[in-house]
Amino acid sequence: MCSIRRTDAGLAKRLRASLLLGALVGAGCPSPPQGPRWQGAGSPTPRRGGTLVFHHESDVRGFDPHTSFDELSNMGIKLLFEGLLDYDADGHLVPRLAEAMPEVSDDGLTYTFRLREGIRFASGRPVTAEDVRWSLERMLHPRVGSPGLTFYTNLEGLDAYRDGRAQHIAGIRVIDERTVAFRLRAPDQTFLYAMAMTFANVVPRENVERWGAEVARHPVGTGPYVLESWEPGVRVVFRRNEHYWRPGRPYPDRQIFELNLSREPAFLRFLNGELDIIHRQSPADYLYLKRSPAWRPYWVQRPSIDLWGYAMNCELPPFDNVHVRRAVAHAIDRQRWARTRLYRIRPTGQPLPPGLLGYRPDLPHTQRFDLEIARREMALAGYTLRDPDGDGIPEPVLTVEMWIGEGPTGQVYGELVQSDLRRIGITVQLKPVSFPVYLRESGKPRTVQSLMTGWSQDFPDPADFLDILFHSRAIHDHDSENRAFYRNPELDALLDEARVERDRERRGRLYERAASIVARDAPWAFTFNSMKLDAWQPYVRDYRPHPVWDNYYAELWLDLPRRRIARQVGGGGTALAWLGWPWSLP
Amino acid sequence: MTRYVLRRLAWALFVVWAALSLVFVLVHGVGDPAAATLGPRAGAEQLREFRRKHGLDRPLLEQYARYVAGVVRGDLGTSFRDEQPVSRVIATRLPRTLLLGALALAFELVIGLGLGIFAALRRNTIWDTGTVALTFVGISAPTFVTGLVFLYVFAFLYGWFPVGGYGVDALDHLRHAILPAFTLAIFGAATYARLMRSEMVEVLGSDYVRTARAKGASRLRAALAHAARNAMLPVVVLVGLQLSTLVSGAIITEQIYAWPGMGRLAFEAISALDAPLVLGVVLVTAATVQAGNLLADIAIAALDPRVRMTG
Repeated sequence: MCSIRRTDAGLAKRLRASLLLGALVGAGCPSPPQGPRWQGAGSPTPRRGGTLVFHHESDVRGFDPHTSFDELSNMGIKLLFEGLLDYDADGHLVPRLAEAMPEVSDDGLTYTFRLREGIRFASGRPVTAEDVRWSLERMLHPRVGSPGLTFYTNLEGLDAYRDGRAQHIAGIRVIDERTVAFRLRAPDQTFLYAMAMTFANVVPRENVERWGAEVARHPVGTGPYVLESWEPGVRVVFRRNEHYWRPGRPYPDRQIFELNLSREPAFLRFLNGELDIIHRQSPADYLYLKRSPAWRPYWVQRPSIDLWGYAMNCELPPFDNVHVRRAVAHAIDRQRWARTRLYRIRPTGQPLPPGLLGYRPDLPHTQRFDLEIARREMALAGYTLRDPDGDGIPEPVLTVEMWIGEGPTGQVYGELVQSDLRRIGITVQLKPVSFPVYLRESGKPRTVQSLMTGWSQDFPDPADFLDILFHSRAIHDHDSENRAFYRNPELDALLDEARVERDRERRGRLYERAASIVARDAPWAFTFNSMKLDAWQPYVRDYRPHPVWDNYYAELWLDLPRRRIARQVGGGGTALAWLGWPWSLP
Repeated sequence: MTRYVLRRLAWALFVVWAALSLVFVLVHGVGDPAAATLGPRAGAEQLREFRRKHGLDRPLLEQYARYVAGVVRGDLGTSFRDEQPVSRVIATRLPRTLLLGALALAFELVIGLGLGIFAALRRNTIWDTGTVALTFVGISAPTFVTGLVFLYVFAFLYGWFPVGGYGVDALDHLRHAILPAFTLAIFGAATYARLMRSEMVEVLGSDYVRTARAKGASRLRAALAHAARNAMLPVVVLVGLQLSTLVSGAIITEQIYAWPGMGRLAFEAISALDAPLVLGVVLVTAATVQAGNLLADIAIAALDPRVRMTG
C-alpha cells in the first residue's frame, strides 16, 4: 500500500512539473500577429524604388513568350516582354508597342499597326516592324511548336509558310520601319485579342539566334524589367529595364519571384512581411484573412474569368438523351457547392462567365437547382423514380461513371455530384485519374461518359469559351477540346456568324442566343466560376487585380520605407490554443 | 572480396536496368506526355509536333532502345517540361537534397544513437520508459504535422529559423536546412534509438562486457568502447539501406519547407508526366540504393571481424 501511495505521489509530482513546464513554455510563446506587421511611410504620391517579392507554388519553365503559356511563366513574361496590344486595368484592348489601335480595312481583313517611336529592347537596340514580323514568324514556325498556333491560323499564307513552300507569311507585310500590316483569310473579331496575347510579343532575332534552345533562360524583351538572376527551383530576380519606354515606370527597382513555395510557408512569410502579395491560400488562411478586420483593407476577392461544370458525353448513353442532361443540370445544388467550398466559388448556370460579351444574368434557359424540373425531365427521358421510404432519395435507375482529376479537389466535386444526382436516381461512380490520362482519354470520342471539367480564358471574348468548348469543329479523333462531344448545327452557324460580326451590339446578341442554346441543351451542367483572393501588404499601393492577366504586378508601387507595427509579446495561450494544446487554454 | 564486390556490382547494374525499364513502360503507358506538358489548350497540331520532336510518335520499343543507348552514352535526355538536359536539372537539385539528407542523417544518428544508449544504460527506469515513449511519438507523428508545427512555432512565432526556402549563400542554405532536416530526422532518430536500445540491452548483458567491467573498465567505457561497437552493426545496415532517401529526398518535407530538392523534383516530374525527368530521378535513386546496400555490406565486414566476404 505504501509503495502504491508513493507511486501516486510521484506521478502527481511529475504531472505538476509537466503542467508547470507547459505553462512556462506557453507563457513565453509569442502570440501570432492579429494583423499586418508592417505599414507604409504614408506617401501620397507614387514613388520609385524598393523590391516587390511574390511567389508561386511550382517551378518556372522558362521565359519564352512564344512557347511558354502557363500561369507561372506568364507572370514573368508580362514583366519582360510586350506586344503591339495589351489590356488596360479594366480589361479593354489598348495599344502597347503600337502607337494607336490598328487601322482596319473596310473588308475587315487587313490590320495596319504603327509602332511607337523610340521603343528599344532591353539590349538597347531599337525595335522595328521587321522585329514584329520575325517574332510572329518564329512563333508560327513548325520547329518552334508553339501552343499559340491555333490563335493565328486565319493569317493569310500561314499554311504555305508552315509547309515550307514560302519563306515568309504572306499575310504579314512590313511597310516601313515602323509600320506592319496583317492580312486575314476571313474576317475575325478575335484577331486583335490574339495580337494582345503573349504569343505575339516581340523578341530580338539576334538574342534567339545567340541562345537557340536556351533562349527561354536568357530573355530579352521590351518589358519594364530584365532578368537579373535565376536560380532554378528557388527564385527569379527581375531588375528595372533602363531602356523602358514609359517615363517613370516601373516603380519598384526589383521584383523577386520566389519559386516552389507552398501555401502554408508562403502565408507565414506573408504574415511576417517577407512576401508582399499572395494570391493563393489554404482554406484556413483564406478564412483567417476574411475574418480579420485588420487585414480587411488589404485583400480583394473577385471572380476569375473561367467556367467549371459537369460535362456529359452526348455520344454515349444515357447522356445522348437531352432530358437526362437537363435533369442533371437541374439537380445540381450550386448554392450548396458554394457553401461547401467556403464561397471560394461563384455558382453559375450558363456557359459564359460574367464580364464577357453575351453574358446575361437572366439568360433564357439558365440552369438552376430545381428538383421538380429535374425529376420531370427524368420522367420525360423514360425513367420512373420511386421513393418507397419517402426519404427524398429515390431508388437508383441509372449508374454513370464520372472521371475526376486526382487529388482532394476533384474528389470533393465528384462527391458533390454524387450526392446531388442520388436525388434523381442516378448513381455516380467516381474514377480518379492522373491529369495526363484525363486529358488524353477525355479528348477521344465515345470514351469518357462524364467528367468534371473547366476552362479559363485565353482572352476576354465569348468565342474563347463557346467556340472551343461547344463548336463541333472542336471535335477530333484525338485531343478534342469539345469534351462533351456536343454537336448542334444551329449553334455552329450562330458561332461562325458571331465570330466575324463587326457590330459589337449585334455580336453580343448572337452570343446571348448561343449561350442560351447551350444552357438549354445542357452538354454540361454548369456549376461555378472560381473566385480568387489577392492579399497584399499595407505598403503595397495601387494594386488592383488585372481582369485578364493573373498576378500582374507591373503597375503598383511600394510606399517605403515601411515601418514595423509593434508586435505583441506574451499571451502564448493564443498561439498554443491555435495548435490545439489543451493545457494552454485558460 | 574483389569477386564478391564485382558480383554485387553486376547485380546492382541489373537491378538499376530492371527498375529503369519498368518505369519506362509505366510512364509511357499511363498517359500522354504531350498533353500533360502542353496542357488542355494545345491543339491537335501542336500535340503532333511535340510528339514528333520528342520521338513519342515512334514505336515504344524504338523509344526504349534510343533511351537506353543514350543512358549508356551518359545522355539522360531532355526534360519535356524544362527543355533542359535531365542531367543538368538533376545536377542542380541533387546537391540540395544531399545537404538536407546529410544533415538529417547526422541528426538521426546523434539523437537516435544517443537516446538508444541512454535508454539502455537506464534500463527499466522512468528515463528508459520516457525515452521509449518518445520514440513511439517520433515514429507515429506524421511529417506533415510535425513539419507544419515546427514551421509555425520555431520559424514563425519565435523566428529562430527562416520560414522555409533555400537561402542565398552556403551559410544561408545551411541555416535554412536545419529545421527541415530536423523534421526529416525525427522518424529515423526514433527508429535508430529503438534499435540501438534493444541491441545495447542485449550486448550489455554479454560475457565480454562483463569481463571488461571485471577488468576495471568503467560502466560508460564498457558501454561505449565495447558494447556500442557491436550494437552498431544493425544500425549500419539500416543506414546503408536508408542512403537512398538522402538522394530521393523527402517529398512532404521538401514541400512544407519549400526546399527545392530531388523529392520535389520527382513529384513535379511525375505530375507532369515528364518521362525523361522521371527516369533520370529513378536512375539516380536506384543507383544510390544499390550503392548504399553495397557500402552497408562492406561496412559490416569492416566492423565485425567475424564477417568475411566470400565469392
